[in-house]
Amino acid sequence: MKPVLGIAGYVLREAMSRKFILAFMVGITLVLTVVALSLRIEVVDGALAASRLFGEEIRSSIRSVDVALRPVYQAAAFLVFYGGILFGIVACSDFAPSLMSPGRIEHLLALPIQRWHLLAGTFLGVMVLALGGTLYGTTGLVLIFGVKAGYWTAGPLIAGLLACVGFAAVYAVMLTAATLVRSAALCAASGFVFLVGGIIAGYRQQMTPFFEEGFGREAFRAVTLVLPRLSALAVAAGDIAASTPLEVRSLGLLLLGVLVFGFGALAVGFWRFEGKDY
Amino acid sequence: MDNRGRRRLWLVVAAMLFVVAAVLMFTGQGEEPAMETPKVEFPRRMRAPERERAERRRTHVLPVQVDAGTQERARPRDPLLAALPRGEGKTAVVIEANALRHSPIGELLLDCLMRDGGKRLQELRNLSGVDPLQDLDRLVITDEGMMLSGNFGNAKFKELLGERVSMDYGEGARVYEPGDMTVTRPDGSTARGRSEAAVATWNNELLVIGKSPDEVKAVVDRVEGRGPDEPPAISEGSTYGEMYGVLSVDQLARLLPKEQAELADRIRRVAQNVELHVDASGDVAMVAEVRGANGDEVTDLGKTLGAALSMARIKAQAEGEKDLAQLLDFARVQPDGTSFKLEMAVPLDVIKQRLAFCKEERSAAEAAER
Amino acid sequence: MTSQEPAIEVRGLRKTYHRAFRKGGNEALRGMDLTVPEGSAFGLIGPNGAGKTTFIKSILGIVQPTEGSIRVLGGSPEDPRIRARIGYLPERLHLPGTWTAPAFLATVTRLKGLPVDPAGNLRLLERVGLSDAVGRRIGGYSKGMRQRLGLAAALVGTPSLLVLDEPTDGIDPMGRMEVRRILQDEVQRGTTLFLNSHLLAETERVCDRVAILAGGRVVREGRLEDLARGGVRWLVRFAPGANTEALVTAGFVRGVAEGQYVVEAEDPAALNGALDRARAAGALMVELRRDGTDLESVLMGTVEAAA
Repeated sequence: MKPVLGIAGYVLREAMSRKFILAFMVGITLVLTVVALSLRIEVVDGALAASRLFGEEIRSSIRSVDVALRPVYQAAAFLVFYGGILFGIVACSDFAPSLMSPGRIEHLLALPIQRWHLLAGTFLGVMVLALGGTLYGTTGLVLIFGVKAGYWTAGPLIAGLLACVGFAAVYAVMLTAATLVRSAALCAASGFVFLVGGIIAGYRQQMTPFFEEGFGREAFRAVTLVLPRLSALAVAAGDIAASTPLEVRSLGLLLLGVLVFGFGALAVGFWRFEGKDY
Repeated sequence: MDNRGRRRLWLVVAAMLFVVAAVLMFTGQGEEPAMETPKVEFPRRMRAPERERAERRRTHVLPVQVDAGTQERARPRDPLLAALPRGEGKTAVVIEANALRHSPIGELLLDCLMRDGGKRLQELRNLSGVDPLQDLDRLVITDEGMMLSGNFGNAKFKELLGERVSMDYGEGARVYEPGDMTVTRPDGSTARGRSEAAVATWNNELLVIGKSPDEVKAVVDRVEGRGPDEPPAISEGSTYGEMYGVLSVDQLARLLPKEQAELADRIRRVAQNVELHVDASGDVAMVAEVRGANGDEVTDLGKTLGAALSMARIKAQAEGEKDLAQLLDFARVQPDGTSFKLEMAVPLDVIKQRLAFCKEERSAAEAAER
Repeated sequence: MTSQEPAIEVRGLRKTYHRAFRKGGNEALRGMDLTVPEGSAFGLIGPNGAGKTTFIKSILGIVQPTEGSIRVLGGSPEDPRIRARIGYLPERLHLPGTWTAPAFLATVTRLKGLPVDPAGNLRLLERVGLSDAVGRRIGGYSKGMRQRLGLAAALVGTPSLLVLDEPTDGIDPMGRMEVRRILQDEVQRGTTLFLNSHLLAETERVCDRVAILAGGRVVREGRLEDLARGGVRWLVRFAPGANTEALVTAGFVRGVAEGQYVVEAEDPAALNGALDRARAAGALMVELRRDGTDLESVLMGTVEAAA
């Protein structure tokens, strides 16, 4: 496990030195700071009576603060989920190709580590990065609304964690794509394709009737059966963030399924990486 | 293990993981279509069917007015709206009995009404000649009394009120003064009683019940265009929902429980007019628009009401009253300058649960009768 | 140094690179046999495309052989425990530009499974001549400085086998001397040095054994002095004014340049006898060297012969 942690540290250190990632962290901080400084919330007996942003009153209803904040948290959960995965795809697309670049991969492969350690470490490093960014953003949001509205909930944090699991599945595919072709663009493209596929898979039940009965429908059902059901996870993240009842039958199983899909994709990457010459 | 063996192992592991993932996701998400989240439609404006309904109700054409040589044909009016009290501070609540009867909540209420297998309803039909489920269109409650509109062509007014002093009034009305009533039962026996209410019928369309003959005559005057020039308490544009109307501030304050006396006082002080709309086409949703003269005071009142609703919800949650908490989930106050809208809803499921016993008793009664 | 087991032993090594959607493949190594004795300084030379880099990657497990056996330090290069005893400097080492040298070495130390030793790493940086650049980011290093850092990374953990691909590439002459000294120190310490360098003079100066690779095969291999031996001819240059006739009589043949002569001597005694005769004839010797072939000539001759 030590080599995996070592590679994860290597990737994290590399990531932290990237302007793109730093700009993202600064961006989150700025947004949170601006929201914290410019948002004024008046709460009367647990009801959100009035809110002002940059001194301008926001026309909103007076209702229980948790109910009033539901759309905010739900929107934040969707933003974190889809926005986070999209940003992750773009920002992390060249980690693996860069690690596998000539002059670097030979050096790493000559070190006393197993090949799969290298991929697993990269995966772990990126996941730590994603988790850190997500927790930073969502904790900030929870703190701001908690302090200002007196309403404390771990919903957005849990929603952020769900987003990380969704990203884990997407990034595992990207990592595997990098072992096939060392290209950041293709890596990102594979991430996008699986993100879209994952959104479709989550709505497979609703979309199946659009396919004609027969081979087309069965093929659609078969493909979407295996794909990670990202949109279902996103909806669950939104529900949790807004503290509304879940639509899925078992979030635990769904979450585990998406994670196991990620590990499956990673195992394909290990298979390919073990047999690749550099 | 050599490289080739290790690779084969990874491939097998990958295949197994994909299968496990598919099973987990399939089981976790479930294949049944997702349940629709409860969405309550609040009556905030007139919808197309309500506009058409209002149009259809413009049946009464006032006689042609000759004024300074110009001959202007008056637009047809809804006689019931015309009959409503005029001026500020009046109460008039219209219940769309026919629409309500065909709504989900109406079905539930009907079950409650027919708990005895429909015996009493049948008795009422026989006695009055009016079938409330077929002939009644609207029911209006005002400060002055009550009005019913619909098709009263088969009504046995003469049999019921024949003993009273009555007179024709205006163009199509007959006014019955307070007096004795004789009711003939289906078995042929009769029952006598006295009513202090004055009654007026108008063209077999309207039935007006008031405290005195003068009051019911005033209503008939308003219908036939002899009333004051002020607009009716409810304008045609506000005839949306299954129940709507205006409440006097005093009436509204009186609806509040005693522990909310302070709030009741504030309502009396700040509000001038309360307009109410209830939609029962799905879930039961209510919108009350409260108007006042002073914007700041009205907004403060809105905040107080919002806070009270929030506290009630927190209390319901703390006491484990899920239904009530769910009901109050939809409650909100929407401030808008010198007015605010208070929205509340009761999900149909909650009402169904509460009124489930009616359906059970009706089924049992019907089964027993068979 | 006597060796119980060779540091590198390769038998029948073949490597064919297959490309997707293409028939056949590119044969980089075609049945290569090579033994690198433990403790030796071994140089691998050959023209471009001979398979040198493929071979180096094969002995490190970076490239998987199509056929043949590879044993490094008594085990398989796929075994991390074996790779832990190898220090490797790739041809074009890509270094993380935003890191500092100590941070990079610390990471390499950690990935080698060794306890991080900042003081030891600083000593290593000092040894390769980077003590002044410790606080600077690697991105600001010159090519030579990067090579030195790569060498330092290869030296982390005092490996038993050093595999260096073009270690002095981009380093200035003074730096090359320093690097050469470090490599010689390592060899003296008992480390096996496996060097691939285009700078044949570098190989000549550092290595005691050389293998020439051409067309994916080892075409010649042996001790450097054996490969470069020119035979019995010696080149001698005398000071101006030497008596040509007397020198010819003493067995010297006049050469192309002014004052240059060639003499054939089977052994040192015969050489000194001839020189004594020349001196007796009044000739003053200013230069003496074996009329042998340098490594470049050996390489050219071998490759041309193999072709």
